[in-house]
Amino acid sequence: MNYPKQFDVIVVGGGHAGTEAALAAARMGCKTLLVTQNIETLGQMSCNPAIGGIGKSHLVKEIDALGGVMGLAADQAGIHFRVLNSRKGPAVRATRAQADRQLYKQVIRVYLENQQNLQIFQQSVDDLIVEQNTVCGVITNSGIRFRSRTVVLTVGTFLGGIIHLGLEKQSGGRAADPASNRLSDRLRELPFKVDRLKTGTPPRIDGRTVNFSVLEPQPGDQPRPVMSYINTTADHPQQVNCFITQTNARTHEIISKGLDRSPLFTGEIDGVGPRYCPSIEDKVVRFADRDSHQIFVEPEGLNTHELYPNGISTSLPFDVQLELVRSIKGFESAEITRPGYAIEYDFFDPRELKFSLETKHLEGLYFAGQINGTTGYEEAAAQGLIAGINAALQCSERPPWCPARNEAYIGVLIDDLITDGTKEPYRMFTSRAEYRLILRQDNADRRLTEMGRSMGLIDEHRWHRFGEKTSLLKERNVILKSHWCQPGDINVETYLGQKLSREYNLAELLRRPKVQIEALLKAIALDWPDTEVNEQLEIDLKYAGYIARQEDEIARIRTQHDVELPADMNYAEIKGLSNEVKQKLQEVQPQSIGQATRISGVTPAAISLLLIYLKKSKLLVKQHVINQ
Amino acid sequence: MQRGLTDKSTIAALATPSGRGGIGIVRISGPDAKSIAKIVTQKNLTPRQATYCNFFDDDHSVIDQGISLLFPAPHSFTGENVLELQGHGGPVVMDMLLSRVISLGARIAEPGEFSARAFLNDKIDLSQAEAISDLINSASQQAAKGAIRSLQGEFSNSIEDLDSRVVAMRLYIEAAIDFPEEEIDFLSDQKIQKSLSEIDSSFLSVLKSATQGALLREGINLVLAGRPNAGKSSLMNCLAGKNASIVTAIAGTTRDIVDEYIHLDGIPIRLVDTAGIHAAKDEVEKEGIRRAFDELQHTDAAIILIDLSLDKAWEKVVDQLLIEIPYNSTVKPLIVLNKMDLVDSLPTEQLYRAMPVICVSAKKGEGIESLKGLLKEILAIDFSEEGSFIARSRHIDAINRAYEHLKEGRNQLDQFQAGELLAEELRYCHESLCEITGQFTSDDLLGRIFSTFCIGK
Repeated sequence: MNYPKQFDVIVVGGGHAGTEAALAAARMGCKTLLVTQNIETLGQMSCNPAIGGIGKSHLVKEIDALGGVMGLAADQAGIHFRVLNSRKGPAVRATRAQADRQLYKQVIRVYLENQQNLQIFQQSVDDLIVEQNTVCGVITNSGIRFRSRTVVLTVGTFLGGIIHLGLEKQSGGRAADPASNRLSDRLRELPFKVDRLKTGTPPRIDGRTVNFSVLEPQPGDQPRPVMSYINTTADHPQQVNCFITQTNARTHEIISKGLDRSPLFTGEIDGVGPRYCPSIEDKVVRFADRDSHQIFVEPEGLNTHELYPNGISTSLPFDVQLELVRSIKGFESAEITRPGYAIEYDFFDPRELKFSLETKHLEGLYFAGQINGTTGYEEAAAQGLIAGINAALQCSERPPWCPARNEAYIGVLIDDLITDGTKEPYRMFTSRAEYRLILRQDNADRRLTEMGRSMGLIDEHRWHRFGEKTSLLKERNVILKSHWCQPGDINVETYLGQKLSREYNLAELLRRPKVQIEALLKAIALDWPDTEVNEQLEIDLKYAGYIARQEDEIARIRTQHDVELPADMNYAEIKGLSNEVKQKLQEVQPQSIGQATRISGVTPAAISLLLIYLKKSKLLVKQHVINQ
Repeated sequence: MQRGLTDKSTIAALATPSGRGGIGIVRISGPDAKSIAKIVTQKNLTPRQATYCNFFDDDHSVIDQGISLLFPAPHSFTGENVLELQGHGGPVVMDMLLSRVISLGARIAEPGEFSARAFLNDKIDLSQAEAISDLINSASQQAAKGAIRSLQGEFSNSIEDLDSRVVAMRLYIEAAIDFPEEEIDFLSDQKIQKSLSEIDSSFLSVLKSATQGALLREGINLVLAGRPNAGKSSLMNCLAGKNASIVTAIAGTTRDIVDEYIHLDGIPIRLVDTAGIHAAKDEVEKEGIRRAFDELQHTDAAIILIDLSLDKAWEKVVDQLLIEIPYNSTVKPLIVLNKMDLVDSLPTEQLYRAMPVICVSAKKGEGIESLKGLLKEILAIDFSEEGSFIARSRHIDAINRAYEHLKEGRNQLDQFQAGELLAEELRYCHESLCEITGQFTSDDLLGRIFSTFCIGK
């Protein structure tokens, strides 16, 4: 049947990408439908029970700054918080929360169910309605046809998913959930380039069978950080410890003996797994000189005994899993609650996407999350948010938007994907961001919230909080530059441990090594509450020189992003380009000269030739600014 | 950071081929051309008026004297502010002048970039698009060739060594930042200091060898092959003209016995005489030959010289020499039949196996003008903007920038204990080196981290 209502945006999939996509589109006023195989698994954390980490909490903070829910939910479900790299300088500091799986899911579901303009429907999607190269809706497994102007596909690992446990394999999208094979087959008929990736998960353990007294406890950090800009620690539930243990020589021996039944080593698995998250069997083989690997024992929640032993992801047969787990200190009599497994799934070459995450082949169709070759909740959520935003922008005939590489990690993520594609599950790291000093987790709101507001993503409450912070920053900045400390000022000189040679303002003093804002304020008896704002002032001053240099660089290349490249360029006919460059440009079909410069192997001379060709063909027109 | 044309930075290049003729021109285009003019000449130049002035270095010493010409935008060749500094030529002086301009914020132009900017700014007719494309293409091929030539031998090894040290350092620093919870045996503070100081010394030695090499590498490589009695030195003198003859003849190392310099119409030419190839007996000489063969791979032109009076069957001699001398196969040698005055009948062929044949008499000076003409035709490509000299300048510029970042990185670590800023400076440092050693992406870096350390939480 044809469903009687026409939607603006249909989101297929209710994971982290689908959730943010649906919420963003609905917040922007679109009639939105979220179709999921199972309402009970909305917001499910199917891998490790943690949100954030290096590079990843940066994404969460950016999602939060654009009005997304991941940070809010992580706070409300977070049972253990840590600041990573706390001693390494603010640009690379990150936050990680262990989350209670059940709580997290509940929180997400509450947000979804209470979102205006958003409807949820449970059924699996088998097909897309496509008319004249434009997507017009979806068809479910029972034949219900939902029509819409745009569709966002966020089907994760469900496309053609195959689960491996030892040499046994079965179809599935996640343990206990069916794969979306119909849709996978259907998409394979469309002109998308499909490839396979692989990821894995460790066996889960019954906490009642673990001897915690021999494990090293790892408490959360004090002061406890928060994920969302608008939350406080009062939003956190009860906090618990994590634990650390290790594999040992015996464990490695057990693994080595089981390798002949490992699908990874017998060639059963074709998909490429992530190099930074290898299975324990991979670690044992590749780093044979190591006699021990660390395992982080993470609680799955407050109301469950289940534990997640992070670091022993495996697809070895169950009997080997049981033996290897029991060889580990503290796990001697452990019982497994769910076996570990590896999963292979389809992903689409993300170079076939525009920066809006709309596919180049089908108008109105957006891809977000793991189907684009990424891994991680945060990476998925970030793409979901951008796809949802752009689907909504398209419905209101506004130009697409995606932050640039210098504006957000989200921009780095999407630009990397659409320009370079990926050969392994893509994960964010701070070293991927050339503007790392600008893209910090402390300033994501200053980078993005205004833009979010202009697109209708930011509610009054958040906007008000943001305004307060901004004006406080402005006010205090003026004071830092106008408050002068005179030579002989005993309090300041005592704090600095040296005499002042002339009068200095506070900003100048803060640029000195080892001068800290809170201590300096105390020395001059200035009472400035809100340490977050003070910290921000200090970071701005300490990085000022670098930020200025990077901003110069950004300004210099900004014009490159203004020069658009037509969608149907025939690079083969450009004289002088090498065949290699022609092929790469043809493959990626970059949207701007700026993107073209980022393709590996495309030289400045090639860019010159490209520009000359554009000019000759009268295609060189500066249109609206991409990346705003 | 890759640079493209739409980037509005100020660019500079030698507008005359290195070392050629009496004057050398450094051309600068872009927004900073005006301020550079003011600083270098210490004068307020009147637009479009030739002004005789000094070119000052940053310590106020005079680099050279000459004519300055400032063309403000849009009435210039490129449509941007253009400054021309015309000096006395001389490769060392021109290099100093170019370095000075670069230290003031310009960067060395990409091949063909002046013309491309002119085209994009409507200073060149649309119908010239093809011609401009060709120019960019040949200029960049030539630049690539120049870069390869600049990167020979010792210099290349020391750059590679330096590069691998910087990469190793970055591996540790970036892994420590991105994977703080892994059990990686990260470098202790003292080890970091030690590695940084080792990198510092590597920089110093690379810079030293690069600047020395720049002089030796300058010019065009011309291989002269032939039997010892074929009359190579008289041909050399003929080509060089009466006042130039042999410019450099450094003795003392095996390699230098086959190295000599002449000027052909002001273009420095490095003659690689393969005479020694036949004479080699002992180990030292064999090493010399090995190096000479190495040089032959980077030849711009080759002459096979035959004594026509001795070898009537000159074709056989040519065939034999071609087997013995592994010259770069993309360069077609020129067959020169010497002592034409001593034989009765001259060969009529103009080509032998697609190689041009020309008869001369070095002694009487006959046929020399045609030979020069042919040589110039073959070498034509090297008369435009990019020679090995500019390639080397480009490399030295990149190394200098890389070194500045290293020093600043060390400063950030010492003064502020700012590891993330050391990482930042090392990234810039490495990026500059990559202009020489080739692209290295963040993904390459991550790949190296994953293969070096066991990452896997």
